[in-house]
Amino acid sequence: MSSADPEHREEEEAPAVGDDEDTGAHVAPIVKLEEVAVTTGEEDEDAILDLKSKLYRFDKDGNQWKERGAGTVKFLKHKASGKVRLLMRQSKTLKICANHLILPTMSVQEHAGNEKSCVWHARDFADGELKDELFCIRFPSIENCKSFMETFQEVAETQKAEDEKESSDAAGLIEKLSVEEKADAEKKDEEKSEDKTVEKESASGKESKAVEEPASSA
Amino acid sequence: MALPNQQTVDYPSFKLVIVGDGGTGKTTFVKRHLTGEFEKKYEPTIGVEVHPLDFFTNCGKIRFYCWDTAGQEKFGGLRDGYYIHGQCAIIMFDVTARLTYKNVPTWHRDLCRVCENIPIVLCGNKVDVKNRQVKAKQVTFHRKKNLQYYEISAKSNYNFEKPFLYLARKLAGDPNLHFVESPALAPPEVLIDLAAQQQHEAELLAAASQPLPDDDDESFE
Repeated sequence: MSSADPEHREEEEAPAVGDDEDTGAHVAPIVKLEEVAVTTGEEDEDAILDLKSKLYRFDKDGNQWKERGAGTVKFLKHKASGKVRLLMRQSKTLKICANHLILPTMSVQEHAGNEKSCVWHARDFADGELKDELFCIRFPSIENCKSFMETFQEVAETQKAEDEKESSDAAGLIEKLSVEEKADAEKKDEEKSEDKTVEKESASGKESKAVEEPASSA
Repeated sequence: MALPNQQTVDYPSFKLVIVGDGGTGKTTFVKRHLTGEFEKKYEPTIGVEVHPLDFFTNCGKIRFYCWDTAGQEKFGGLRDGYYIHGQCAIIMFDVTARLTYKNVPTWHRDLCRVCENIPIVLCGNKVDVKNRQVKAKQVTFHRKKNLQYYEISAKSNYNFEKPFLYLARKLAGDPNLHFVESPALAPPEVLIDLAAQQQHEAELLAAASQPLPDDDDESFE
């Protein structure tokens, strides 16, 4: 009787579904696509951090976190400028979930209810336009979350130092310009430096004599 | 092809029709791709909602215009009128609701009346749920009608890219076509507004105490 059971027969007929097997009908393609060079936008950057994670954005209207994507988050440091950005891509589709610079003023803090998660604010460029976002990111482990937070803070501190260096370099340029403007003062400076050179030579002469004396006494 | 009320784009685009019983997860699946959100609340789709969905492939950028149709008969609107000029399709059923699989032949019949010889993917959604009613081995309709079948979960993202990848390959006639990284443009410099920053910090403090929407023990793939 079981052999007459249609449902049972169906079960026997159906092997397990293989993902790679194509059971679809043959259809004529409707577009002709040529292979193109892939530009990821990351070619001029080195990855500082690369971790699996899940990203959320805060929906202010609904006062709740909403998923943005699951995939891989990276800190990417530009080889020339040294600037660092956070870039997160979704698994499989490789679409962008988050894309923003790490600025000196930024900081990251723990999520109140989850020790594998942390939160921050950013001006995000994921969709090709700047948008204020509150982000939360969750990691598979506490260790990975700590690693992310530490790297985030380190990068922000480094960017601060870089900014200060740029400021002092600019100040140096200003000083140089002001010196060049005072042609008269320049000549005096040269004379002073010449005097110092003469004094220095005299001093070195004395030193050489002092060295000779012990030799003669011996 | 230029579709009514839709802007044309300078890269290939396709009309994708998504059908299936109400509550099987058609809208949730599309929304997952659009925004990354997983919408738990069920709101029946009225008539149709059309969403453009872009992917970057090794053969350039492509777009699917996703025609997310009403699954409930009473909200059917123009019903199969939405299928006109469909170039590919997804039929969605819910593996936790046997009736939704039993109705697949009807959806397929109505679809094929309007769209002849287009690639179709059958999707069994909600495979993350433990007590499924329709086992994988019981799904046989796709073999009889030459459809592709994928078990998916809009909640866990299991196989969630597969239907689009399969359809893209069929439409292009390229079995090796694959998704590649979307180009990540360099973010522009941002001027820091101290007043705005203080407000963001206050908002962030409040947001940090709001719970995350999903379970912590979910696996990371």
